Amino acid sequence: MKKLCWVLVACGLLVNQPVTAADIPAARLIVKPLLCVIDREAGQCAMTFRIRWKSEAAAEYCLNDSALSTPLRCWPSATSGTHDQTREVSEAFIYWLGAPNGTQRAAEVKIDVLRLDSADRRRERRARHVWDVL
Amino acid sequence: MLRCIMRMTGNVLKIAALCGLASVGHAQTEAPDTTASAAVASAAPAPVQSAPRERSWRIGAAFGYGERTNPLIQSDDIPVLVDVDIAWFGKRWFFDNGDVGYTLFDRPSSTTSLMARVNDDRVFFGKTNTRYVNFAYAGNGYTTALPPPTPSSGGNPGGPITGNEEPPPVQVNPPDRDYAIEAGIESLIDGDWGAAELRAFQDVSGTHGGYELSAHYSRRFTAGRLSIAPTIGLSYKSAQMNDYYWGVHRDEASGALPEYHAGAGFNFDGGLVTNYYLTKHLRFALSVNYERLADQIAASPLAEDDYVLAYFSGFAWTF
Repeated sequence: MKKLCWVLVACGLLVNQPVTAADIPAARLIVKPLLCVIDREAGQCAMTFRIRWKSEAAAEYCLNDSALSTPLRCWPSATSGTHDQTREVSEAFIYWLGAPNGTQRAAEVKIDVLRLDSADRRRERRARHVWDVL
Repeated sequence: MLRCIMRMTGNVLKIAALCGLASVGHAQTEAPDTTASAAVASAAPAPVQSAPRERSWRIGAAFGYGERTNPLIQSDDIPVLVDVDIAWFGKRWFFDNGDVGYTLFDRPSSTTSLMARVNDDRVFFGKTNTRYVNFAYAGNGYTTALPPPTPSSGGNPGGPITGNEEPPPVQVNPPDRDYAIEAGIESLIDGDWGAAELRAFQDVSGTHGGYELSAHYSRRFTAGRLSIAPTIGLSYKSAQMNDYYWGVHRDEASGALPEYHAGAGFNFDGGLVTNYYLTKHLRFALSVNYERLADQIAASPLAEDDYVLAYFSGFAWTF
């Protein structure tokens, strides 16, 4: 019985312990849209990203853009948040959620860039085989 | 034999000269535009980063449902359930789904390559059925069975059968045709106006001894994740080529298949390729292509239709 009490106390301490930058709780990050399609005419996509995140535990989370050195936005002691960002995209990048001034990532989402045009125009040649319909 | 080789070589040289001149001429007229667009790009506030180096291999597969109609008599349409895309591009050499090429010139607005390919007309002759035909002679208001052709009748049905005897049905087979290896030249030209493909191919396998010239224009329009690319084009096929595939040769002629010699002619085609990109690798593809066969082909006893319609709808994955 005494042992059980010690275990419960220890668990309670762990649960109530403040979250530090070193071990930020995992979160769920949802970003839309996820893909930028670039063709010959436009070298980049002008996109508005709708970013939502949710976590089980309250902590200070910061939303980061891998192309930027500073966070886009931080939420002190929050379990969820939303953010809209309009930006031009020409290369793949990552939105990630982490502690302020920390490198540990609670969640991340990659925004892909698909280039339809090619520097090698042979890749765009139209094959005329009977089975080739694409 | 020597005359045949010389004639083939002469055709290829003429074709090569035509394509070469077209691409060089185009490169020269495009040069000022290229400079102008570079100047605009350098003045832009946010220069676009150069595209990452592309992989040499391109491998993909599409799964869905499609069909290509078969204009050959007594033949089945060609179902397309899986479309595999395998290509490799080196600095000069490349392989693209069966076509092998060696790039001679790569200019800012055009690329010209020597090519080798397998002719695709032969594919229609791969899905044929045997059919049995009863010959009948209609006259004076009644129908009388005719006996089937015999070797001595030169392939024509014999005289009317007297009495009630039924003639045995005659087996009618579309003739066999071989694949042809063709060599030629291809010029790919593009700009803000779209993309053009000029091709000239000559049979080098001694199968049909003919040649084909083709020109196609396409332009891709992209909006968000959707891209639509309409294409129009035409191809000129020589008499030797059309006659080999679509003629009924003397030794193949019968009462059901009269002797026929196909001449040269133009095929016209138009199509639309639509892709909706779900992820960087996965897309939903919808494509349709209509080809109007040359009158000389359509008039052949071997041709049931004067067109080829191909369509496909499905999901495509590019690795």
